[in-house]
Amino acid sequence: MRHLRHLRPLACGLLLAAPAAAQGSGITSPGMPATGSGQTDRFSREFNPAISLAFDAYMDYVELDGAGDEGTHLELRSAEVLASAWIDPTAWIYATVASDGEELALEEASLQYLGLGDAHTLRVGRFFLDFGKQMQAHVHDLRTFERPLVLRELLGEEVKGDGLQWDWWSPAGDVTVVRTSLGVFQSLTPHEHGSEHGAAAGAEPWQEDRRDLGKLDFSGRVTALRDVGTNGQVQVGLSTRLVPELAYEDPASGNLSASGSNSVWGLDLTYGWVDDTATKSWTFGGEYLRANGALSAEVDLASNVVVNDGDASGYYLFLDHGLDRQSSVGAQYSRCQLVEAGAGDAREIDVYYTHYLSEFLRLRFSAGYADYDASPDALRLVIQLTGFVGPHDHGINW
Amino acid sequence: MKLPRRALLPLLVCLAASPLWAAGPARDPLQIVASVPDLAEIATAVGGPRVQVTSLTKGSENLHSVRVRPSMLVAVRRADVFLEAGLSLESTWLPSLLLTARNSKIAKDQPGFVNCSEGWAAIEVPTSLSREGGDLHPDGNPHFTLDPAAGPHVARRIAAALSEVDPDGAELYAQRLDEYLAAVAKKAERWQRLVEGMKGKRVAVYHVEFNYLTRYAGIETAVSVESKPGVAPTPRDVARVVRELEEQHVDLILTAAWSNNRTLTDIAEKSGAKVLELPTQVDGASWAKTWIDLLDGDLVRLREAFGLPALEDQGS
Repeated sequence: MRHLRHLRPLACGLLLAAPAAAQGSGITSPGMPATGSGQTDRFSREFNPAISLAFDAYMDYVELDGAGDEGTHLELRSAEVLASAWIDPTAWIYATVASDGEELALEEASLQYLGLGDAHTLRVGRFFLDFGKQMQAHVHDLRTFERPLVLRELLGEEVKGDGLQWDWWSPAGDVTVVRTSLGVFQSLTPHEHGSEHGAAAGAEPWQEDRRDLGKLDFSGRVTALRDVGTNGQVQVGLSTRLVPELAYEDPASGNLSASGSNSVWGLDLTYGWVDDTATKSWTFGGEYLRANGALSAEVDLASNVVVNDGDASGYYLFLDHGLDRQSSVGAQYSRCQLVEAGAGDAREIDVYYTHYLSEFLRLRFSAGYADYDASPDALRLVIQLTGFVGPHDHGINW
Repeated sequence: MKLPRRALLPLLVCLAASPLWAAGPARDPLQIVASVPDLAEIATAVGGPRVQVTSLTKGSENLHSVRVRPSMLVAVRRADVFLEAGLSLESTWLPSLLLTARNSKIAKDQPGFVNCSEGWAAIEVPTSLSREGGDLHPDGNPHFTLDPAAGPHVARRIAAALSEVDPDGAELYAQRLDEYLAAVAKKAERWQRLVEGMKGKRVAVYHVEFNYLTRYAGIETAVSVESKPGVAPTPRDVARVVRELEEQHVDLILTAAWSNNRTLTDIAEKSGAKVLELPTQVDGASWAKTWIDLLDGDLVRLREAFGLPALEDQGS
């Protein structure tokens, strides 16, 4: 067996290399990061994220009081993939990639760090604005087909930003909890805004890429929830979005407006009641918003960007009745001053019936009427189908 | 050296309070939070005066769609021990609640977190997992507390956990566990007599939550109003159920409070079948104050519904 002696170093080398091979790392070249994680290899499934799919499609019929784009329309409004996973015992991440049927975009990608102790959470990445009851939620998760008019108008349909947010909650007695959050963001202005009412929009929000810390955008919310008896609860909240430095740009000419600021404040109040079997429910509530500063801008004939600086306010009220575990009916009314100069006020009322065919498939019938001072009124009938597969949860919901 | 008069009063107060010190600091009861009332009641029986127990849900509630309220978050945050039924009964609401509460004492790897179905042999474990099968529970039917063997199983799990979290009370917990097991064993003899004559009888159910109880009684669950677990019946299902009730010669439909709805009324009117609402958890009816009462009362009512003669000591 003497001839096998020269194989000993090779055998020892293979034994020593075994743990590294099990980790899937071939070689770590000098100056490059180690690739082995210790518990997984490139194709391991055990520690992979939980994945969910969601789709939201609708067919609607629009009738305008006057000329315009009316008739029937079919659309896949969104298709979404969401993945969530713990990355260590104190932090978890999730990411949402969504398509509006044409373009694919990273909607959210956020790390939530819980290692600060108590009930503190530090959130880093791209995520939705924590404002009021609805802005954290994707549109397909809402009680109604669309976000209320006042939120779309004064904040935006969906507002997300790259930033950092601190979140904390605490009991206040046995039946009350208080939550607060503060966030700082690169930008909290919506990418699309305005033009849906027919008023000239033209200019788009513009912000310096690099600015002083105090000129970044901020969000804040404080909310309290309290049991009311054994079946009810009430929630009150105060929210703000502050944009200290904001200009508007004419995309065609590249002209910029003078720099201004924009702030929005909101006050929300909600009451919910559920019967002893957790099947029938009543919920009513509302939210009042007030915005001031640079609300919108238009481009005049000389390509100057003219900012509409002032105040605008509005509110929405809703009533929702859970008929049973699967079905609910409700109505929502929203009234708002439009942010475009001279556009006047608008009012929207929606009624809806929602039925869950199963826990994961939702069918909704909705009828809405919009009444605008300066553009044609609109009637809209919608059939919406929304499906979920897997753990579908976007984040905080209170 | 003379003590000033002003110093005498605090001194006297301290002296008067000294017997309290001798007795040791007052011990706060262990805060136990249970996801459902069955677990809470059994924990009270086992823990006795050393524990204070809160149930997050009500006995009549649909446990698959619980709405979390502020008081539940506060209770979970302050809990020393948390009891879950497990088998993904609470999967739609409990994981988020536990994550938000941030109570390290009841983290899943801590002795303060107790999965009461651990070690339980569940029925109806799906062989394949697809939403095509409805709202499936991967580990099997989670409504196990309606099995007469569940009380002792849960009581043992709770006693073991309490002894680990609160070793000073281990002797008391062991003693109370023995007493509880003896009480259940005594009732079990009566339950055996209560189910006499039920074997082979057929029932329909709205949801699969009575299947442990019917299995114990030898009753066949022949028809389900939900076509698949968790999927609400459609008008087509109403026609199917009416037809199946007739074909299978079933004239009794079991339901819980949350599912005793217009659909069942419609089916009952069309088929002539009788609807029997039974509580599935403690406090689901005024008479179901304990888990033992719940089992006993459900079996008594089943016996009555089948038209079987009452036992001499049957009660109501």
